[in-house]
Formats: sequence, C-alpha cells, structure tokens
Amino acid sequence: MTGTDEDFARPKWKRWLLNRFVLVPAFLILVTTGWNAWVFTHNHGIVAGRVLDAKGAPVEGAEVKLWAFNFTTFSVAASTMTKPDGSFQFDNNASHNIQVSAEKPGLGRSARVSIRLYFRAEDLQLKEPLRLTDGA
Amino acid sequence: MKRYPHWPIHLALIAVSFVMLVPFYWVLKTSVSGENIFSYPPNIIPRDPNPFYYVDVWYAIPFARFFLNSIVVSAMTVVANVVLNAMAGYSLTHQFFGKNLVMMLFLSCMMIPFQATIIPAYLITGKLGLLDSYLGLALPMFSTIICIFVFKASFDAVPRSLIDAAKIDGLSEWKIIWKVMMPLAKSAMATNVILSFIWSWNNFMWPLIATRSSDMQTLPLGLARFMSYQEDSTGALYAFCIMVLAPSILLFLLAQKEFVQGLTSGATKG
Repeated sequence: MTGTDEDFARPKWKRWLLNRFVLVPAFLILVTTGWNAWVFTHNHGIVAGRVLDAKGAPVEGAEVKLWAFNFTTFSVAASTMTKPDGSFQFDNNASHNIQVSAEKPGLGRSARVSIRLYFRAEDLQLKEPLRLTDGA
Repeated sequence: MKRYPHWPIHLALIAVSFVMLVPFYWVLKTSVSGENIFSYPPNIIPRDPNPFYYVDVWYAIPFARFFLNSIVVSAMTVVANVVLNAMAGYSLTHQFFGKNLVMMLFLSCMMIPFQATIIPAYLITGKLGLLDSYLGLALPMFSTIICIFVFKASFDAVPRSLIDAAKIDGLSEWKIIWKVMMPLAKSAMATNVILSFIWSWNNFMWPLIATRSSDMQTLPLGLARFMSYQEDSTGALYAFCIMVLAPSILLFLLAQKEFVQGLTSGATKG
C-alpha cells in the first residue's frame, strides 16, 4: 500500500474515508440497513388472494387453507373462509415457505399452490387466483 | 531487446483462471438453482435461478448469531495477530543472546500440528475460565509463527539507519514499531489480516471443543449442524457454503494487492 505523492496531497480525512476498505463495508451496511427496514415494514404475515370457480366467478364461503413447511413436511397452519367477492386474507403467517389451497363442497377444490417468500411473515397478495375445479 | 507478444501468456492465464473459477461458479450456480450435482446432462446456465435456498439457510439455523460469533472471534484474532506478531517480528530483527535458538524453536513448532496441542490448549483455556467465551475461542489463534516471519521479513527490509534515527529522536521501542515500522510494513499487515482472518473464520476443531452452548457456535459448526439435518437439500447446502465463504472472499479481494506484496516481500527479502 505505497502512497504516491498525489495520495499524500489529498486531505487526511479523504485518505481515511475515501478508500475501498471504508467504502465497501459502508455500502454493505447501507444495503443491509435498507433491507432490514424493508423487512420490518412488510412482515405482518398477511397472505391475501381470491378464489374463483371453473367459470371465473368469485366463490363465497370456500375454505382456504394455509400450509406451512414444518421441518420435512407441510402442515395446516391456518384456515379461513372467502368473502362474497371471493377474497380471503390470512393475518398470521409466520413462515417463509408456504402453500395455499381452497375447497368448497359441490364446486371442487383448487391445486395446492407453493409460495416461497423472501423472509418470514412477508406480506403477499397472490397474483393468480385459486381456481376451483371438479375432481382436482 | 526482442519483445514477445503478450497474448499467449494472457490466453494461458485465462485458461488457468477458468479452470480455477469453475468450481466456484458451480457452487454459486447450484446455490441458486438447487440442481443436483449428479443431474445429467449438466446445465452451465442455472435453470430458474432463485434466492430461496439462502432464505432456507437463514432460518434453518440461527445464522445471524453464528455469523456474529464468527465475526467477533475473527476480529479479535486479527487484532491480536497484528499486534503480537508485529512485536515478535520486530524483536527478531534485533541481535540478542539465544536469537538463533528462538528462531529454531519457532521453526520447529511450525511442524507440530494443532491437533497435537489441543488437549493442553483446552486445559489452559479451562483453567483460565475462558471455555465457551469469545476470548477462549480466539485465544489459541492469537499468534501464528508464519505471520511472525512475514513481519520479520518486512521489518528486515527497513534500513537500520531509520531505526537508529528514531532512537536518537527519543522514540521508545514501542513507538518505533507503531510510528516507524508499521507504516512501512502495510503489506505484511495485510497478509497478517487476511491469513489470520481466514484461519480463524474456517476453524472448526477448536470451536467444536471449546464451545458448550449453541449460542457460542461459529459458522463452521453451524455448517456441520446444518448438514446433519438438511443433507437432502443440495441447493441449501451450497447456499450455506457461499454464505460462509463470502466474507473471506470479500476480504481477500479488498486486500489482495497488499496480500501479494506481503507474501513476495517475505519471499525475497527474508
């Protein structure tokens, strides 16, 4: 780390602060802080979505189950019923590896959809609705 | 003087670099794709890359706690290595009675593997009441003989007249080390920092023996623990390896210029 004349001509604080040994860790700390701020403001455990029937109409009263990964297998962590517009919401998801499925007698059931989250209890709005099909 | 073209050397270096970097790339690729190592045909480009194996690792074990433990232990080791090795290296640049004996003792001690001294090290650490503590984890790595010789080689290259001038100006030996020698031995310092950090960071045997509570475990122990119950997940295992390796690689990339200078000065001037 031999300093050139040009290096020594710079103010001391610049030499101490503006070098890779300070800038790289500072950048990493900044990124980590930003990520943690994002996590703390988006970890309410909300998982929301909609349930539609085979024709695409909203389904009221369908049972939606939330499955959480439990060491080796998925087990039911919570369940809820859909509203008249077919929407549902879980408020207490604590996992980062989940599945959701819906079922209503007479209309059939949906496939179990696997969802991977970037952190535990990440808030999520399902992009694709759960579709009930007979004999699925 | 006839000038030869550089491109054949560059081509050869690129080929060698490629061979050496492929395993790293493969680990990185598997960590984001989870593709089994035995899958055929192998894919060069990861299929459906995602960061979720890293998320799995983060939550499978107390990663943040193990990471903090490794950072604290490594930081203590690095600071102690720089301070103690510089002092030892400086003393070896002087002439004193029994110097050759000390040098021979150092060199012969390098041949004793750590595993052979682990029982006395454990007993001493236990008597000091430092088992299951950060200081106890770092203590056996506080000074390494190779790093002492790196400092010695670097200090030997400093002209004797400079030290004499510092003494005439009234500097104590302690101040000569820190005000005169250390600024001239930054390469040796970088070598000490990198080597001691990597050795401490990767150390498995001593933390395994010196820790009792899971809260004091370091990352290599975490990796072993992780493998014991996640052995079927190739992607998560490789993601863990990347997360353990990343700080060492980052530190090396940051200080590689000084590291190489430190090693070569030790090779030519010692």
